[in-house]
Amino acid sequence: MPDATERRKNIAPWLGLLLAIGGIGCNVAFFVRPPLQGMLPWLSLLFAVFALIFLAIGLKRAFGQPQVYRGKVLSVVLTVIAVLPIGLTAFAFVAARKLPDSTVAPQVGQKVPDFTLSDASGKPVSLDQLLAPSSGSSSGPRAPAPRAVLLIFYRGYW
Amino acid sequence: MADFQAAGVRPVAISVDPPEVSRDLANKAGYTFPILSDPDASVIRSYHLLHPGAGVDGHDIARPAEFLVDSSKIVRWTNFTEDIRVRARANEMLAAARQLR
Repeated sequence: MPDATERRKNIAPWLGLLLAIGGIGCNVAFFVRPPLQGMLPWLSLLFAVFALIFLAIGLKRAFGQPQVYRGKVLSVVLTVIAVLPIGLTAFAFVAARKLPDSTVAPQVGQKVPDFTLSDASGKPVSLDQLLAPSSGSSSGPRAPAPRAVLLIFYRGYW
Repeated sequence: MADFQAAGVRPVAISVDPPEVSRDLANKAGYTFPILSDPDASVIRSYHLLHPGAGVDGHDIARPAEFLVDSSKIVRWTNFTEDIRVRARANEMLAAARQLR
């Protein structure tokens, strides 16, 4: 039986914690709008899954082979710490994808409904006006009629 | 923005935010395109984009969506994200704009 001081370091729980934090890092990365951002949700999930795997390996080593590996206390502490970021990643993944069905929204080839809404200065603006040459008002310089408008619906800040 | 202009496309943003919030956003981010307010979400509803109770304090807000609409108001391109963290990138929208005939 090997001496206690010769037991191997158990780095698996450290890797697990690192991966758990990496999962959170993926969520932060959305703010810089990187290319291939469509992969980020899955990447964050992958980080969380591997974090769990490494934490499990760490615990198994510390408690299953205590004569080979150190870190009984440490593996438990790191696992408890890592549970929070893993939980957050999983929660964010589920919450961010809870979106209403888009198949009833206007599709390619369909006509969109007309609208008139206030712009940032409170002035009413209609879809017809947006598709017409702009007169050179507060909303920008004089411009010819656009070939198209790009309607960007967003969640807003409240 | 100049790229969109060159492609003959006018970007327009729409949310439930009141005009004051949109003004702050435009000033902070330097946006020069119109930002429209749909406080009671009536237009968002007419486009079937309502995400009930998803805003702060349970406000009804818009699900993120982008439409390229031509001069006869026909949809030419759409983008509906499946994850609110993933949005259309400017270069994707520009590519769609440039493909318009």
